[in-house]
Amino acid sequence: MDDLLLSKIRLGVIAELLDAEWIAFSDLQQATQTTNGNLGAHLAKLVDAGYVAEEKVFVARRPQTRYRLTKTGRAAFVEHVRAMQRLLEKESAS
Amino acid sequence: MESLSPAQAREHIEMVDRILTRSERSLRVGGEFFLVWGLVGTSVTLAFQLIIDGRIPSWALWVLPLFFAAAILFSVLRGRQLGKCSEGLPLIQREFFAVLWISLGVAFFADAFGFHIFTTWASSAVWNIAAAIVLFFIAVHGNRRALVCGIIVLVSVAAANFLPTITGYVLAAGMLFGYAGFGLISLTSRD
Repeated sequence: MDDLLLSKIRLGVIAELLDAEWIAFSDLQQATQTTNGNLGAHLAKLVDAGYVAEEKVFVARRPQTRYRLTKTGRAAFVEHVRAMQRLLEKESAS
Repeated sequence: MESLSPAQAREHIEMVDRILTRSERSLRVGGEFFLVWGLVGTSVTLAFQLIIDGRIPSWALWVLPLFFAAAILFSVLRGRQLGKCSEGLPLIQREFFAVLWISLGVAFFADAFGFHIFTTWASSAVWNIAAAIVLFFIAVHGNRRALVCGIIVLVSVAAANFLPTITGYVLAAGMLFGYAGFGLISLTSRD
């Protein structure tokens, strides 16, 4: 399993980004129901790992930070979910 | 290395499943616009073919501007209603609407001001191609229904090209099943 995705919040963020092009920080915060600082720290780890790309843009003359899933992040997510499924299959088989 | 217990893994997978189900729902946007404009596009093409075949009188064409006017009125009113809450829409939905409006606008402009270039069936084909572009744009964001419907619309253009006696029927079918059909599916599958 991917150590970085063991956190429920980070896994949730990746899942939110899976079908989207770019998602604003505020939208991610609303979706994950976390505080600014908490989400910011989790996103920083995902950005550092290259799982998520960060971009700062201006929307209606207001600065906005938005995020997009990278290929590395998508591959890590898929592999992590597979590993969790294998764990559950192993458990139900035993 | 840390790991998860089977109970935690189940909880995480359930969460991912919930998020993905919600994301898929958010991709179902503007079903009503697809349905309305799909039906207008279908009726215009069908009317031309029926007139060519002598099945309806040519004065029936005068009804078509009423269809267009009704569709525009609906789009403006519904668009205003959605615009009021557009700030709450995810970026992806706002992008879908932008592509939808641009394609409708370009197709309408081509029809209204390019009538010497887009004569006879070319005008209908323009609408079908615009429809296919919108559907494929939605499809690349993970909506498989949009992909299937986009292919239906595009195939209708290719097929119509080889069926000169029933060109209108084929293009109309593509618009009906591909574009309006996508709208109907989006509306009926909404939770």
